[in-house]
Amino acid sequence: MSALHEVTTAPAAGFEVPPAVHRAAQVLAGVGLGILVAGLAIARERALTSLLTSGFYFLCLGLGGAVFLALMYVANAGWFTVFKRIPEAFAAYVPWGAVTILALLPFVSSLYPWAKPGVMETDHLLHEKAAFLNVPFFAARMGVVLAVWVGFTWMLRRISLRQDAERSPELAGRNVKVSAVFLVLFALTFCLAAFDWLMTLEPHWFSTIYALYNFAGLLSSTVCAMTIAAILLHRAGALPQLNTSHLHDLGKLMFAFATLWAYLWFSQYLLIWYANIPEETVYFITRLHGTWAVAFYANVVLNWALPFVLLLPRPAKRNPSHLLRVAAILLVGRWLDLYLMVVPGLQPDGVAVGVFELAGFVGMAALFTLAVTRTVRSTPMVPVGDPYLVESLHHHT
Amino acid sequence: MSAPVLIGYFDSEARVLDATRAVREAGFVLHDVYTPYAVHGLDDAMGLRPSRLTWVCFGAGLLGCTLALSLQYYTSVVSWPLNVGGKPFNSFPAFIPVTFELTVLFAALATVAAFLVRAKLFPGSRRPVLPRVTDDRFAIAVAPREAPSELDAAEDLMRRHGAVATDLLEVAS
Repeated sequence: MSALHEVTTAPAAGFEVPPAVHRAAQVLAGVGLGILVAGLAIARERALTSLLTSGFYFLCLGLGGAVFLALMYVANAGWFTVFKRIPEAFAAYVPWGAVTILALLPFVSSLYPWAKPGVMETDHLLHEKAAFLNVPFFAARMGVVLAVWVGFTWMLRRISLRQDAERSPELAGRNVKVSAVFLVLFALTFCLAAFDWLMTLEPHWFSTIYALYNFAGLLSSTVCAMTIAAILLHRAGALPQLNTSHLHDLGKLMFAFATLWAYLWFSQYLLIWYANIPEETVYFITRLHGTWAVAFYANVVLNWALPFVLLLPRPAKRNPSHLLRVAAILLVGRWLDLYLMVVPGLQPDGVAVGVFELAGFVGMAALFTLAVTRTVRSTPMVPVGDPYLVESLHHHT
Repeated sequence: MSAPVLIGYFDSEARVLDATRAVREAGFVLHDVYTPYAVHGLDDAMGLRPSRLTWVCFGAGLLGCTLALSLQYYTSVVSWPLNVGGKPFNSFPAFIPVTFELTVLFAALATVAAFLVRAKLFPGSRRPVLPRVTDDRFAIAVAPREAPSELDAAEDLMRRHGAVATDLLEVAS
């Protein structure tokens, strides 16, 4: 057990990112979010869609970290323990992400068509949905959803830190229980979030698979971000225990979730195409005209076709540089996917990606980086108190 | 045609990995290694090349995909066009589910079949059964390159690496 001995006698310090990276992230977060706030005055709708797209994007990465942990805990998985501080650090972004989504609340009436003044009175269909689509109820649901996410990510993190201090195997059992409850509540609250925050942007249209489809995007993008973080930390010398088998399994998950995404994306498209009911097809008609069509097809290529081919051979999933490239493709794809959910209904004229979209994404990415690196710094990279650590150190596929 | 094969029995995973490596490095020809379960690292120890089965899988999948698309195109566009809800005859989205299923079916069946054929596991194929390798023993089979006397050296080597028993077996080549 020399590997374990090395780990347990290693100095109990976290990984310090180079100051230049930290500084750059601070500057980018400041500039990006500053432009976004200025945008609220200059071009309100553009700034709001950018805030929603990128805010939800990174909140999903944080939440995805917690969901990944919970999935691994309930499955009694032992392979991931070596890098579990990465999803934990992602999960630490959830409160920050919650703030970026709460920032939408004062502007609900500028963003959501059902909340615009005078719409409810003139639109019969929306009038029928008024019991659900009204600002107080919307805000209450948002509050509950975010509170559940923040609460459970905090609990999972706390148990993990207690494991380090107490080294008690009973805490692993507590992880399983908390995770099981969290996964059920997550499924319900995430459906609510996807329907509320994204689908009601086009309040006449509905799709029951929409939340599940977002679920696949969340898992796929989280695995990609985790893979990138793991490889970068490994290269920086902070995670020497990460081996090719861990990467191989991350690559397999990336491949699997990209395919799950494609499956659900196509399920939604096929059923609407088959039934051919105007109130449903309207969603795709907007997205298949003008420049939106290019983005529509690029979405499938980036999120599935390219990653599928690039990750098919076994050596591809074991090559860190190759995984970095594919993960980057999928992460760009995820942004495009969300952009295609949010914007076309409000701006049917065509794709318009400019300074506000870029500022939103870069600012939020920098904020996410700050939250993650701050957490990584505060705790040792390897969870020495987790009973599954030995299994993970010897992971071999 | 049959040739004698030397079998060395081992009682632990670590020993069989060690002995496999030693036998190969000493220049003997490994006929095969038999274990009760998949042993991690054995592929490396035996110096196996990456499996070519993936290419069978890929090729069969591609064939299934092509056949499914061609069949659907032929039946619904060329041979017997039917108007279904005003959709175009060549409706690509509608073809996808069948294409997906046939791709998976072809790939899976062809891979299993190719494996069974390659491993000569079919009715009529007579293969000797090694005692206890489905229970608690690990066995290394060494084939002689030239003279069968060479096997004495191999037996010695395996004994030194912890073989609990050795045996000489005639197998069909």
